[in-house]
Amino acid sequence: MNTVSVQNVSMRFGDFTAVDDVSFTVADGEFVTLLGPSGCGKTTLLNVVSGFLQPSAGKIEIGGVDVTFVPPEKRDTAMCFQSYALFPHLSVAENLQFGLKQKRLPAAERKQRLNDVAEKLDLVAQLEKLPNQLSGGQQQRVALGRALTMRPSVVLFDEPLSNLDAKLRESVRLEIRKIQADYNLAAIYVTHDQGEALAMSDRILIMRNGKIEQSGTPTEIYNFPQTSFVADFIGDANILDATIIGQESEDFWRVSTEIGELLVKSDTPPIAKRLKICWRPENAQFGAGEMNSIEAPITHRAFQGNYTDLFIEMNGVAQRVQWRRSHLEDITSLSMNIRPEDIIFLEAMT
Amino acid sequence: MKRFSLNKMLVWSLFGICVLWLVIPFTLAILWSFVDPSEPWTPDHLLPPVMSFARWEYLWEHSSLKVAMLNSYLLAPSAALLTLTLAMPTAYALGRLHFKGKEAVKLLVLLPLVVPGFVTAIFFTAILFQMGLHAWRFGAILFAHSILFLPYAIRIMSVSFEQVRQNHIDAARDLGATPFARWKVAYFPALKPGVMATLLIVFIYSIEEFAIAFIVGSPNFTTIPTLLFTNLGANFIRPNAAVISLILVVPNVVLMLFLERLLKSANPALSSGKG
Ligand SMILES: Nc1ncnc2c1ncn2[C@@H]1O[C@H](COP(=O)(O)OP(=O)(O)O)[C@@H](O)[C@H]1O
Ligand SMILES: [Mg+2]
Repeated sequence: MNTVSVQNVSMRFGDFTAVDDVSFTVADGEFVTLLGPSGCGKTTLLNVVSGFLQPSAGKIEIGGVDVTFVPPEKRDTAMCFQSYALFPHLSVAENLQFGLKQKRLPAAERKQRLNDVAEKLDLVAQLEKLPNQLSGGQQQRVALGRALTMRPSVVLFDEPLSNLDAKLRESVRLEIRKIQADYNLAAIYVTHDQGEALAMSDRILIMRNGKIEQSGTPTEIYNFPQTSFVADFIGDANILDATIIGQESEDFWRVSTEIGELLVKSDTPPIAKRLKICWRPENAQFGAGEMNSIEAPITHRAFQGNYTDLFIEMNGVAQRVQWRRSHLEDITSLSMNIRPEDIIFLEAMT
Repeated sequence: MKRFSLNKMLVWSLFGICVLWLVIPFTLAILWSFVDPSEPWTPDHLLPPVMSFARWEYLWEHSSLKVAMLNSYLLAPSAALLTLTLAMPTAYALGRLHFKGKEAVKLLVLLPLVVPGFVTAIFFTAILFQMGLHAWRFGAILFAHSILFLPYAIRIMSVSFEQVRQNHIDAARDLGATPFARWKVAYFPALKPGVMATLLIVFIYSIEEFAIAFIVGSPNFTTIPTLLFTNLGANFIRPNAAVISLILVVPNVVLMLFLERLLKSANPALSSGKG
């Protein structure tokens, strides 16, 4: 069953449309991520789901009930705020129980939920402390715990890890995912970090200028981006302008590009005669191949640890290649090929 | 070396200012208040020749000091509370709402502070009397003080309202808090230092305010400053004036120190870690 259903929601602020006719659903226990650059309308959309904003158009259902005009305090959602929003003068235990007290739950039940959450989130030793006596990661867990004690049907996250340092972020990621699975919660998670989205999500909705540009599982999105925006936003991509010059067989097309003619293998036919195509830098095959061979001078390089970024230039077009081998020092030009199935058709050229 | 001597200079000048403005007047006031009526303190003595509590006792028994203290100490807290209450709506608007021309309004609110107190007092009393408040002197002065000190209160409270974090309000709401519970958990802790500061400042200003209290209140309604003034005029007796000054000033100094402590201790609780 769908826990959350967002139907044709738009949000306008004056003349400005922050969310533009967005629809999606989240199933029980599903972890859905809204991913997009800053300012694309993620927080606005999340605030419409949580009830802080009433949409200019469209409908929100939670558990099959229309809640479009239900205020946040009466909605069965719980929000994890970006800056945690812990009450600074209340102890961790009081913070965790705040929502339960508002619900006027009996003390025994409160205690039981508090202990449950404190144990799951490893906060038992911190219960008497004030929030500013905790580390960033612990504060983050209290914020999560405070939302979880409410046993909401949906938990909403607005960039919850952006205040943590990189190492901590990875462990908290896993933890959030584990707990969300434990409680079998529907989750909507907002981030602008593609790594986070790929690692955590069941499904990713890529947002751009208030619209959903593409949605799918992390592998679908990564392997089959539909637009150059998605290709570039998720992972790295070399994007080229291409013109279809012929179909070789059922799913092979020949295209002409700035870096020469290329053979493309695609299950879906190209959307137009002139369109964008892309290939991932890590998919470069080294040495000349039977098809799509490229030989070009290396203009510069950047060592990245487990690989090296090489930038090559062909006919004035820079392309990026990730080379996973050492002893590169003496190479000044690169011979490589791209397999036809590694080239992806994107949107039509305007 | 240069830095060191500069620091030293600053410390010494601060010390000098303290002595000039605080230690000397206070010491003199205390000494003068203990001068016994039997023997005057003439310039050829370093200390008063006979010291006693006679002046204190005399003023306590034979002047309107008791009434003046009662009036002042009823007036000041009432003015503090009333000013705070009156300041709240404007402060809320300036601290929490977004509207065009907000900066101009902020400035406008502070503008009354540039007018000298006496000028305000003289013309303000006309309005008060037109409003029919002359029959109730206490009320008239209370009202006047509240209006007069409103700019300070609005300024302090609007900064306090700015300190309230929207995400605390939102979090409380998200967790099901009623408007009252939201106020208690998100607004009140952030406003508390501002509320205390406003109350104390208005209290102190009201206790010390002379112009309005004198023009509106005299001759029937005395406060400590107006009593002090009557002891400065034709029947000027320095030791009596010293007693009244001390009664006026000492509670204020204590309150000031309290305020200082309060503002210092208030801040750490405001922030919750990062963000
Ligand atoms: N209350 C508001 N009034 C006017 N514009 C707003 C308001 N809230 C958000 N916006 C605008 O909507 C756009 C999307 O904002 P937001 O949803 O916060 O983006 P994101 O969370 O993706 O970074 C931004 O351009 C922002 O300026
Ligand atoms: Mg945002």
